[in-house]
Amino acid sequence: MGTTKYSLNNDVKSGSLATEELTLSFGPQHPAAHGVLRLVLQLNGETVVRCTPYVGYLHRGIEKLAEHRNYFQIIPLTDRLDYVSSMTNNIGYCIVVEKLFGIDVPERAKFIRTIAAEMSRILSHLLWLGTHALDIGAMTVFLYCFREREKFIDLFERLCGARLTVSYPRIGGVRNDIGNNWLEDLYKLTEEFPMRIEQYETLIDKNRIWLRRTKGIGVISAEDAINMGLSGPLLRGSGVAYDVRKFMPYSAYDKVKWEVPIGKNGDVYDRYRVRMEEFRQSNSIIRQCIEKISSGPIMAQAPKFILPPKDKVLTDIEHLIHHFVLITKGAQTAHHGEIYVATEVPKGELGFYIVSDGTGKPYRMRIRAPSFVHISALPKLCEGALVADVVANIGSIDIVLGECDR
Amino acid sequence: MTTKKFIKKVFFIEILQGLALTLKHMFSPAVTRQYPYEKREAAAGFRGLHALVRDKETGAAKCVGCGLCAAMCPSQCIHIYTIEGEDHKKVVDRYEIDVLRCVFCAFCVEACPFGAISLTEHYEYSDYAKDAFYMTKEKLLLTWDKYMAGEKGEEYFKKFWRPMSEDFIQKIQNAKFMPTCRHKGG
Ligand code: SF4
Ligand code: SF4
Repeated sequence: MGTTKYSLNNDVKSGSLATEELTLSFGPQHPAAHGVLRLVLQLNGETVVRCTPYVGYLHRGIEKLAEHRNYFQIIPLTDRLDYVSSMTNNIGYCIVVEKLFGIDVPERAKFIRTIAAEMSRILSHLLWLGTHALDIGAMTVFLYCFREREKFIDLFERLCGARLTVSYPRIGGVRNDIGNNWLEDLYKLTEEFPMRIEQYETLIDKNRIWLRRTKGIGVISAEDAINMGLSGPLLRGSGVAYDVRKFMPYSAYDKVKWEVPIGKNGDVYDRYRVRMEEFRQSNSIIRQCIEKISSGPIMAQAPKFILPPKDKVLTDIEHLIHHFVLITKGAQTAHHGEIYVATEVPKGELGFYIVSDGTGKPYRMRIRAPSFVHISALPKLCEGALVADVVANIGSIDIVLGECDR
Repeated sequence: MTTKKFIKKVFFIEILQGLALTLKHMFSPAVTRQYPYEKREAAAGFRGLHALVRDKETGAAKCVGCGLCAAMCPSQCIHIYTIEGEDHKKVVDRYEIDVLRCVFCAFCVEACPFGAISLTEHYEYSDYAKDAFYMTKEKLLLTWDKYMAGEKGEEYFKKFWRPMSEDFIQKIQNAKFMPTCRHKGG
């Protein structure tokens, strides 16, 4: 279209010059591709005719690696799925193993996990908001988001000694207890955080450029969203009120009051609204958990799967032997069986499918990663749209390639 | 279009609001740190570079070479070589950590039954050569002297060496009053 209009060539004027589609390779190192995603775009002028995603640039074989590690050692591997919110992955994995082996997590550990998971959700959404806005052209939001992110990450650091790859939950509980100071500081942070959310909204919520770039772009109908297997904010943006935390509550989600925010039109703007609302819900979940948390043990009583207490290991031969066996051979009394449990991570529904053959290592571990499913929706979102909207669409589905490629 | 909407549209109200916010931020103190000049303290228990604990009394490494840390390490980056010493004692000949492969999960600390390895709060160890990241026993002991010697090291194991009895329910705490299977078996 573009070439015919401005060319003075006679052939063109008469319409006899052959025009052809342009193939544009987008990524894998494009900053707006949010990782190493490669899209091959067939363009007719500015319109995308065909969009083919290529994934696998970040494949590290996590599922295969897991087959050669005992249940304990897999926890750091799950950090590296969705490295933006490693806490939720850890928790998701631990919940699956606990279900498989019938371990009951104590109450306090459940609350700690819920608090940590919601902090992680806020962290992930903050990164999403910052980069999504940056892609679309709003630089300031990015800087403001990182200011708050830093505070939450600092709390993570005080909690478990690591900022991103936390490896904090353990099978049967959590690594270490949280102090009251920590809870107080977090509570203070949740007091000021709603004001911060308002600031982000002041910047972009009604901004006409933002609205033009997001409203009516990348529409997915509720039916399509369900058929494509989408989950998380994508599904909720299309108006389906499905949230694993609500429908199959785990940790302490059934003990706090919160709502599932949903969108209406299923466009980029609605997905943005859903995530902004989730900020507020997560914030309120954290506050309620802090108010309700009681003291108590943080580790389950399941000596066959859990490392014995260190003070006993130093003084007691049984515990020492136990310690040696658990570490060198893994949980020897693991049951046979298979299980699939899903948890709600910031990106959507993260499921672990584990087959146990009783050897202390999983026989097979399969990860149902939301990002992988969401990338499969990209062609549908992009085809027929303009090149500039491809970036908005990628931003709105909020993918992390570490999780997609595994 | 109502008058209100019209005014909003013509006078760029929403954009002016955004600009007012950014203007306000111009006069608030900066939150950024000028990193190399302004360093931030890592939180206590930060999972940074490894250190081998030096025994206060003997001055040697506490490690006995049991190999549990190496067995637990998910990235298999700990290499331990033991030899036979005096009196047929097991002696740690070489203890090496390939830091470039480490994922800083602190599982080695958790696995060590003697409290012989720790992670320090030191995180600035960039270098030009790969060898600098291949930690030998001597280097690891020096790291301990530099960052963890004295009270800090003791505190570390009190606070961050987990799990401890208090993490479990009462039953384990009472375990010492119960007959153990050793007695039962005769
Ligand atoms: S911190 Fe983790 S990866 Fe690093 S040496 Fe210890 S166990 Fe291995
Ligand atoms: S587990 Fe502890 S004592 Fe055993 S080899 Fe490792 S550092 Fe040494």
